Amino acid sequence: MVGETLKFWLMIAWLLPLAGFVVEIFFGFYSKNPRHSKAAAWCAVGCIGIGFLCSANALRIWGNANEWCVLEAAEHGDPGDTQADAGHHETDSAEHQTAYSGVIYTLGVFGSLEVTLDYYIDSLTLVMFTMVTLIATCIHVFAIGYMSDELTDEYVDHSAHTSDGGHVHRPGRFYRFFAFMSLFCFAMLGLVLAGNIFQVFIFWELVGICSFLLIGFYTERKTASDAANKAFIMNRIGDFGFLIGLMVLWTFFGTFRFGDTVVDEQVVDQGLFSMVHRDGTGNVARDEVTGDVLITDTHGHVLTNEDGSNRQIPYYLLVVIGLGIFAGCVGKSAQFPLQTWLPDAMEGPTPVSALVHSATMVAAGVYLAGRFFPMFVQEVLLTIAYTGCITLFLAATIAMVATDIKKVLAYSTISQLGYMMLGIGVFGWAAGLFHLITHAFFKSLMFLCSGSVIYGCHHEQEMPKMGGLLWKMPITAFTMLVGVCAISGFWLPFGLHFSGFHSKDAIVASALAFIHANPAHFMLFLIPLLTAGITAFYMFRMWFYTFVGKPRDQHVHDHAHESPWVMTVPLLILAAFAWFCAYGGESGHLYLMLTGDEPSHLAADVTAATAGGINLPGHAAIHAVHDDAGRWALIAALSGALIAYVLYGTNVVNVEEIKRQLGGVHGFLANKWYFDDLYDALFMKPAHKVAAFCAWFDGAVFDRILHGAAKSMIVVSKWDRVFDETVVDGFVNLIASATQSVGASLRVVQTGRLRQYVMFIVLGVVALFAVMFTTFPG
Amino acid sequence: MFSELLNNLIEDTLGHGLWYFSAELCLSGTIVAMLLMRLLSVDRLLPTFIVALIGAAAAGGCSFGQFADLIAAHDTMSVSFFGGMLRQDLFSVFFRVFLSLFLILTIALTVLTGIPDNEDAPDFYSMLFGATIGMMLMASANNLLMLFLGVEMASVPSYVMVGFLKGRKASSEASLKYVVYGAGAAGVMLYGISLVAGVLGTGDITLLADRLRIVAEGGNAGLGDPEVRTVALGVMLVMVGLAFKLSLVPFHFWCPDAFEGASAEVAGFLSVASKAGAFGLLVRFCVGLSGVPETAELMTAFGVGLGVIAIITTTYGNLAAYTQKNLKRLLAYSTIAHAGYMLMAVAAMLVMLNSDQAPGLGKAINYSIGGLLYYLAVYLFMNLGAFAVIALVRNYTFNEDIDSFKGLISQSPALCITMLVCIFSLIGIPPFGGFFAKLMIFASVYQAAQIHWAMYVVLAAGAINTIFSLFYYVRILKAMFLEERPADVKPVPLPAMEGYYVVVLAVMVALLGFLPQLVNGLSSIANEAGHAVLLVIGG
Repeated sequence: MVGETLKFWLMIAWLLPLAGFVVEIFFGFYSKNPRHSKAAAWCAVGCIGIGFLCSANALRIWGNANEWCVLEAAEHGDPGDTQADAGHHETDSAEHQTAYSGVIYTLGVFGSLEVTLDYYIDSLTLVMFTMVTLIATCIHVFAIGYMSDELTDEYVDHSAHTSDGGHVHRPGRFYRFFAFMSLFCFAMLGLVLAGNIFQVFIFWELVGICSFLLIGFYTERKTASDAANKAFIMNRIGDFGFLIGLMVLWTFFGTFRFGDTVVDEQVVDQGLFSMVHRDGTGNVARDEVTGDVLITDTHGHVLTNEDGSNRQIPYYLLVVIGLGIFAGCVGKSAQFPLQTWLPDAMEGPTPVSALVHSATMVAAGVYLAGRFFPMFVQEVLLTIAYTGCITLFLAATIAMVATDIKKVLAYSTISQLGYMMLGIGVFGWAAGLFHLITHAFFKSLMFLCSGSVIYGCHHEQEMPKMGGLLWKMPITAFTMLVGVCAISGFWLPFGLHFSGFHSKDAIVASALAFIHANPAHFMLFLIPLLTAGITAFYMFRMWFYTFVGKPRDQHVHDHAHESPWVMTVPLLILAAFAWFCAYGGESGHLYLMLTGDEPSHLAADVTAATAGGINLPGHAAIHAVHDDAGRWALIAALSGALIAYVLYGTNVVNVEEIKRQLGGVHGFLANKWYFDDLYDALFMKPAHKVAAFCAWFDGAVFDRILHGAAKSMIVVSKWDRVFDETVVDGFVNLIASATQSVGASLRVVQTGRLRQYVMFIVLGVVALFAVMFTTFPG
Repeated sequence: MFSELLNNLIEDTLGHGLWYFSAELCLSGTIVAMLLMRLLSVDRLLPTFIVALIGAAAAGGCSFGQFADLIAAHDTMSVSFFGGMLRQDLFSVFFRVFLSLFLILTIALTVLTGIPDNEDAPDFYSMLFGATIGMMLMASANNLLMLFLGVEMASVPSYVMVGFLKGRKASSEASLKYVVYGAGAAGVMLYGISLVAGVLGTGDITLLADRLRIVAEGGNAGLGDPEVRTVALGVMLVMVGLAFKLSLVPFHFWCPDAFEGASAEVAGFLSVASKAGAFGLLVRFCVGLSGVPETAELMTAFGVGLGVIAIITTTYGNLAAYTQKNLKRLLAYSTIAHAGYMLMAVAAMLVMLNSDQAPGLGKAINYSIGGLLYYLAVYLFMNLGAFAVIALVRNYTFNEDIDSFKGLISQSPALCITMLVCIFSLIGIPPFGGFFAKLMIFASVYQAAQIHWAMYVVLAAGAINTIFSLFYYVRILKAMFLEERPADVKPVPLPAMEGYYVVVLAVMVALLGFLPQLVNGLSSIANEAGHAVLLVIGG
């Protein structure tokens, strides 16, 4: 059973970080010298490193089992070149099973709803697993060096101030950092392995909480704890949509599973992906009369309800599902309009920014959009495309004026995520995910480089204070240059192109093909093209600003130094991957692996699908414009880089003068398009008002009612006491005193009262008798 | 003919009667053994409580054997034995098991608290056992004579136990009040029995409804008919006797005084066991009068009347508890209130049993009796737990006022947590056992409300009373957990065994709510017992 074997290896890779987390958080706390020991770090590195080996092994097993059929496609020529070739690809996949799914553990059964932990393993899962574990391993190693100043009993946080103006002194939290990192790895891998959308949601939230913990790692800094809150709350907004999507999904499909559960070649439990059937043109199958979408079985036959009618879902609700899930992706991947949390998230330690906020967690939104692609209809895709398009432009313009080295990278991340979303939205599924992988490598590389610079400059992050660091820290500088070239998408002879060249090309080509088919949406091509230039500009600006020119702050420059090997070796490894991981472009192994389990309606034999006035280009159409698009993108990138060189690499132009002349625009961009202020005015202030009102209402109305109730209760019980004391006791006492003379000898034991009691028996009987005769039926 | 009758009787008795009566026989034997031991001075060598424990365990074993027989046989049976005096079914067996278990727990408590001392132990345990036998007889009574005998047999030893603290004036006074009050109630009840048996010509409870139909001469039995009127008067007088045992308003006056005067152990025993037996008897009596269409209207009115008494009792008990300072007195009022809740189940049963939809309501009727039994089972643990805590604290502080509980959490958390669990359960806060018990009773009252609107009022009163009760219960918790321990109050160091004892009770209260298997198992057995007691109708 290949599926079982794969599950076994991936489970190890998935659960080891969890074990690591448990050991680190408890051992770290209880060990004799927790503040000085690197044991937690090596434990974390060991777990994730072994995880990488397991993932790689799983990839090998998977490939051997299907005889690397997805790679063979390349040997028959370019994929998508001809229909015949695509047909061959189809049969290849049919001969070899490439996707495996099944149940790991049943969490609970609620009526017909089974909440399970499933696995869904296909080429995308395996590539993601390998990528995440590899990058995470590099970053963990890097962090050993970067976080080493936490190895102390008394860490002085210069950015956090106590109320009397001094710096915060606290014990180092080295072990805790690695524990959180391990927990994050567990959550992220669980998200990738997830075989149903609900499980995705579980781990979605778990990565969210890890992100919260890591952003707020320097919790004494107000900026950090604010940023952590902001990230968490912004994500909740997206998750609200996610939940709505889940509810609609459950109501109409009755399952959360992606793939079919197959036992002995029989489908025992149908998954979502096979329930929406695509016809020959790639459109979803719909009822001819009502226009509702039909829900089908694995073979495309319409499923029926118990009363014999067809099972179907209104088309608009399918759109709602798509938009809801995408809303989750918008939050997680910091897309417009929820993009504002990611730059603030840079308050966390730099390795966190590299792992969580560039390479993996934020890319999870894109991953989910890709994973859930079979359920998206054209309207949703168009929304995705425009969201991506707006985001990528917006973020890139802000990155042009940012001066904090990590903020530049953060905006660049948002912009690149926008590219990926755009790619997926314009039917360039493979292009978007391709860019996800390449971006993960070069962006984590650049973040680590920036971390190395920050470490070398003693926690200075402002670029205007740097400059001329090239020969002070050569390894960092040159690996950073690789990253910059990669993200700019530079071309080199002999096929040694940077990885970004291939992946960005693929996206731009998809966009170009899309506007050929839909001329009305021409912005979807022009803006990414323009932004490709802007990307090169701000990236080279950052590099020139940091590494060349005259030192702007002599003090910083004098103390700068190259980082130790434990930090530079990961840089070199990542640099190699950033450069070469996409080797071969769209005939290269990475791309073919990714597209091995592409949703079927994307495959080359579907050339166009028409619905709602939107045409979606197939592989052939995209391939036809590939070279054109590549040329345009390269020209844009080169001009961007050139402008950056002129402005910041030489002293020909006075940058300050330009900044002054364009003051309005600069201010607008430097204030991040005023999004934070807008949200503050739109949501925060009203929320505060409403909260104040609620507090007032609570105090003035609810409390008053409650107090009134309590008071009236006291009054009632007082009255009852009065009744008891005056009426009952008084009556008793009255008769007691009346019979006093009779029972004088027994007065000691209060016979007066006792007689009273006996009297009550008589009175009670008589009263009951009277009541019975007046009320009972005659 | 006489010899045939005699032969039948002997065969009946030796065949199964003795086995059905084995638990009571064990208890009787133990009484004799304990008294003989004292006579022969064996009690200096062997502590009496060990004999008592063995005897109670033997009774429990016999009861459980009968229980296992019935469950294993899987068929529901209901037979009378000893010449129709007693009845054997799952209902009576349920009570035997319940009472034996409670007896063992009470003996354990008295051993832990040291009341009675070794000198008085045979007397005390003899009284305890005698009362228990009476309660078992009450639950299995099949004849009006046994009804009276059972009540008296349970009552007379109780009088003695209340006055057992001979040195205390309050105790003797309470005992005297109890005796006189009980004697009055017994007289009234006996008069009622003679009226009922005289008019209807039988003492057999299961035949009452049938005879009433005959007396009413085919018409609808109503109070217009002088004979029916006489029977109704008799039934009411019998009810007065039972109301005394159940401490229902307005026949509750003895209860606070007796509880305050008695030691906490005895009060705990009386509040649970005597109430349980009386409820068993009440259910049998009510079932015996029900199920005949001609009397349906009258019996529905009777049921609604019980509902009204339940409302008054619960409300009175809860409100009167507000101003109490003595914990035993407070719990006495709480006991009155709880009797009201349980009476609601009987009222609901009567209303449903005598509606024209009764055949379709079989499950709901079983459920109402089942709810009552479940309530009793939970009540056993939670009330005994509360009284045990009071008794244990009293042993150190010589005081039973709420003030002596102030700040107890700092000295013996186990007692406080037990008290917390018991009180939460008494209030009916989920997920403790008391919540489910109350829920079952309220559910059957709701069912009955579909038939007679008045039950909606009962339901509402029950719900409101639950809120009322919150205040005075929580006052105890506030004193224990939130207030400072006054310096002049004696400390309460808790020896291990006593801690284990109360914790076991608390755990049982919690498990009866937390553990679905236990809740479901017990409630399904209770429902089956409810089914068994109804077999006499139309059978």
